[in-house]
Amino acid sequence: MEEKRRNEQDVWDEVKRLMGNKQITLGHHWSFNLYNDPKRLSFVLSRYKFAAKMASKNKDVLELGCSEGIGSTILSEFAKSYTGVDMDIDAINAAKQNLSSDKMNFIQDDFLGKSYGNFGTVVSLDVVEHIIPVSEQLFFKTIYINLAEDGIGVVGTPNMTSAAYASLASQTGHVNMFDEKKLKTAMERLFHIVFVFGINDEIVHTGFSPMAHYLVCIGCRKKAGIEA
Amino acid sequence: MKNNKSRSCWEPVKDIMGKHKVIFGQHLSYQFINTPRRILHMMSYYKFASKIIGKGKNVLDVGCGEGLGTWLLAAECGRAKGIDTDYEAIETGRKNWKDSKVSFDYVDFFAVDSNETYDAIVSFDVLEHILPENRFKFWNKVAELSDDNGIAVIGTPNITSDQYASPVTKAGHVNLYSGERLEEELGSIFSHVFMFGANDEVVHTGFLPMAHYLIAVAFHKRRL
Repeated sequence: MEEKRRNEQDVWDEVKRLMGNKQITLGHHWSFNLYNDPKRLSFVLSRYKFAAKMASKNKDVLELGCSEGIGSTILSEFAKSYTGVDMDIDAINAAKQNLSSDKMNFIQDDFLGKSYGNFGTVVSLDVVEHIIPVSEQLFFKTIYINLAEDGIGVVGTPNMTSAAYASLASQTGHVNMFDEKKLKTAMERLFHIVFVFGINDEIVHTGFSPMAHYLVCIGCRKKAGIEA
Repeated sequence: MKNNKSRSCWEPVKDIMGKHKVIFGQHLSYQFINTPRRILHMMSYYKFASKIIGKGKNVLDVGCGEGLGTWLLAAECGRAKGIDTDYEAIETGRKNWKDSKVSFDYVDFFAVDSNETYDAIVSFDVLEHILPENRFKFWNKVAELSDDNGIAVIGTPNITSDQYASPVTKAGHVNLYSGERLEEELGSIFSHVFMFGANDEVVHTGFLPMAHYLIAVAFHKRRL
């Protein structure tokens, strides 16, 4: 046999040739998160994967509060299009630089009360707890006005019952915590059908909600109108 | 007004975050763009390893790539060293993770000096890239580098999932394992082997042939 004798290095070099040479530079937000608590990346990505599995396939997806786009590639993988909005200019610049494409679009804006189109899915993870209570209604209304008639809304936020264990950075930013009842009630103002899931670490489940570290609420069948 | 208020409550968080910038190298960047869920799966394997290993341990991460998981092991377990034969990946790791808890070496696992032993040897997605004729060289090195009370956490894709693998993934796989073979080979080096399966980010003890990924936890090395 004249087959060339390969070693492990040759095999890996072949893989590297297939991978291309794009380089991702994270911004301050995710660089901090990775330094501070690297396992959080797996928790956050699993929330995005769950949202993507529920409601991204062949849909135009809008994400409200996308930060640097850490979950954008998961949300857009099977979507028709992806739009991410965030008011943090550094975060949006990082997202644009790393990920902008025909399919993925990032907008720097304070999204409260604004419409960006008619989307099949609106996702907002780890955002509502940063919205001051007086703007809460407007936050949910923003999801509503961006959704197409048969659209699906996905909202995730840390459970109020886990607040005691939150880090300083988390506690500093959290100004409006939710438990299952409060989140479900808020979503039921927009949707006829609302499902609530719990997440502990990276595992999504339907267990006893006060012991869930994180809550994800999925709303579908939009109501005809919402109270102002 | 409202908008300005909600904007301002993000600012204190930004103050805490500081000005670090983590740069992904070729491999993680490829994954982040093309197969982003793989990063989730990998990080959950590392989290699993860190929980199994525990606190106050010195860990060797074999085939650490760019060292994102090595940093998780260091942060959670106390100390970690990552080694890899990919020079660019090691340089990426060194640049991103500057901390006394973590270090990186550009060195072939087979050539690692066995004067230093570790509380735990972790190796994810390496075994399937080792040529079959070198596999016992690999196991012996794992045993050699682990402390008498050390544990090994070895993860590799299940051979039963190979039919679904992407071309890029398949290009590198030269030594795929079933649960039985992994348990048997590790069992010849260590007295106890616990077998886990992983599907996506969930690590479990379910029916192994249907597990996408295999993670073996082995300890109490045999006197050879």
